[in-house]
Amino acid sequence: MSTEQQTDTPMVEVRNVHKRFGDLEVLKGIDLTVDRGKIISIIGPSGSGKSTLLRSVNHLEVIDEGAILLDGVQVNRPDMKGLAFERHINHIRQNMGMVFQHFNLFPHLSTIDNVTLAPRKLKGMDKKTARELGMQQLERVGLAEKADVFPNWLSGGQKQRVAIARALAMKPKVMLFDEATSALDPELVEEVNRVMRSLAEEHMTMLIVTHEMSFARDVSDWALFMDGGVVVEESTPDKLFTNPEQERTRNFLHKHLGNNH
Amino acid sequence: MEFDFSPVVTYFPTLLKGVGVASLVALAVALMSIIGGLVVAVISIYTNKVVSWPLRFFIWLFMTTPLLLQLYFLYFGLGEWILIPAIVVGILGLGFHYMAYNADIFIATIKSVSDGQYEASRSLGFGHWKTIYYIIVPQALIRSIPQLGNNMILMVKDTSVLSAIGVAELVYASQYAISVSFRPFEFFIVIAIMYYVINILMELGQAWLERQTAYRR
Amino acid sequence: MDVDLMVEVTPLLIRAAWVTIDISSRAIFFGFFVACGLVFLQTFRFAPIRWFARGYISVIRGTPYFVQLLLVFYGGPSIGLRLDPITCGVFVGAFNIGAYMSEAIRGSIESVDSGQSEAARSLGFGKVQTMVSIVLPQAASLMIRSVGVLAIVLVKNSSLVSIISVVELTYQAQRLIGSTYKPLEIFTLSALMYIVIIYAVMGIIELAYRRAIRYTTQ
Repeated sequence: MSTEQQTDTPMVEVRNVHKRFGDLEVLKGIDLTVDRGKIISIIGPSGSGKSTLLRSVNHLEVIDEGAILLDGVQVNRPDMKGLAFERHINHIRQNMGMVFQHFNLFPHLSTIDNVTLAPRKLKGMDKKTARELGMQQLERVGLAEKADVFPNWLSGGQKQRVAIARALAMKPKVMLFDEATSALDPELVEEVNRVMRSLAEEHMTMLIVTHEMSFARDVSDWALFMDGGVVVEESTPDKLFTNPEQERTRNFLHKHLGNNH
Repeated sequence: MEFDFSPVVTYFPTLLKGVGVASLVALAVALMSIIGGLVVAVISIYTNKVVSWPLRFFIWLFMTTPLLLQLYFLYFGLGEWILIPAIVVGILGLGFHYMAYNADIFIATIKSVSDGQYEASRSLGFGHWKTIYYIIVPQALIRSIPQLGNNMILMVKDTSVLSAIGVAELVYASQYAISVSFRPFEFFIVIAIMYYVINILMELGQAWLERQTAYRR
Repeated sequence: MDVDLMVEVTPLLIRAAWVTIDISSRAIFFGFFVACGLVFLQTFRFAPIRWFARGYISVIRGTPYFVQLLLVFYGGPSIGLRLDPITCGVFVGAFNIGAYMSEAIRGSIESVDSGQSEAARSLGFGKVQTMVSIVLPQAASLMIRSVGVLAIVLVKNSSLVSIISVVELTYQAQRLIGSTYKPLEIFTLSALMYIVIIYAVMGIIELAYRRAIRYTTQ
């Protein structure tokens, strides 16, 4: 913990990352730095590579070139193979919280068990401590009363909030949000946004891929516009959303701001 | 036509002993075929072709040939090497047969668990095998319950076939009584009724289990 | 493996395989009529007739085929039903698989969207006409598949008539294993023959299915 405070190493560093799916290059040399306690939003049309980039940070996509670092430790390790890499990546991922578009809650486990499974099985936490921790996280997302309910009985918004609590229970250094509200009915979006805002107030480091322009503008410290596998433009959210320099950014915002209050 | 059920009454303890043997066999086969089927399914999905192809071949072989033929093969085949009791051959034969059928179900249900589940577990830091153990397999098990139940109901009925290799279950147990009383109709009717009752109980149990786990699917 | 022995016993096994094919095909043929009868009985207004059909299906499905076979063959004479082994095999096979098939047929008919028959009725089609020219053509593909699966089950079940001394494939295999003590060779050959029979049945089902599916694909 103490070393964390002293260093000014960025929390996440993405250096010249390339990713190909067959012949198609979806990331064409991306650079990105997320400093401690900062919130970065990535916007862009679908197919721009923004989700692939986020998934690469969690190593759910294996990048072909470049480097990704979490708190100074390299995530992708082309030099490591087999079990050694498996151990390495499992350890790295315990420090990153990932939130998916389709929630991916475990349907066979109750809400509280969804939240406590990883602390118990990966950190060896005993059941009682884990439950206390799990309840804290559920309170944080406002769902303590749903602790013993199964995911199938929750609304989409509640599911996503539980998914956030599940990620938070591992005390991650950074939270990655992959279009966390895209699959939700419009009236359920706000409850998830509210939870994300409260995390922002606690200075959680966050990397957010989103379609919600106004939310991105409100909450982020820095915003990126991606298209065609490159970062077209990045700046403070106020500038990016009101006075972008690039034509492509303007066109994109013009198309999308209309639909997003 | 005159029916006389008194020999059935006289030999009822023998029949009950047959029920006992059949239940024991069914229980052993259920354990063997469910656990074994799950292991076979996991191995055949998650390992390389050298391991998975032979397994899939055996699943296919057990599913495309009759149980009785398999039993005879095992009975005479094993009998050549070692002297083992018929009941063991019966458990192994029925066990392998339904292991193949159960593995076939598990392969389908394991594959039906979405990739998102795997990714979510990996993103929390669970390793590949831990993800299979804590996330994939439990969900596949729950999804398998209806078909697994059907298989086990079929299996209990198939314990009657084991009389062909001399396992002292219901049919075999009644053979002597039938030969001295010469009342095959009465005995087989009673045996059929016993199976029918067990069958209905199992169907109720299956429905109950499905209800109990529906919300976890 | 003892190849000479395998060559020697092959004709015996082929002859036995023909018996298996004979019994199975007759049982499937008659079984289909039993099934249609059971489906028909369940459409009766008069409830006891429907109950009879439901009860029959439940009892047949709830008891082992093997016990049914023994009951009819050994117990049949005491109710005046004397059948030679092959006839008994066909008879019990047909009445057994008929119960399962009736459920398969009913299921495939019920799978056709009820809007289809409503639409037909609203056009002025009669009940029977609606069934024959609207519902059945659409149910056919699913029906062929599910009835086909049962035909394969019946082929495998036909091995059980060896118990009442019908010299079919499994009976012959068992006898040969007993006399030659070469279980692997005999099993390999007889398993191969079952596989050929079953794949032939699957081929027929697939052909019928392809013909039927023309109605259902838009």
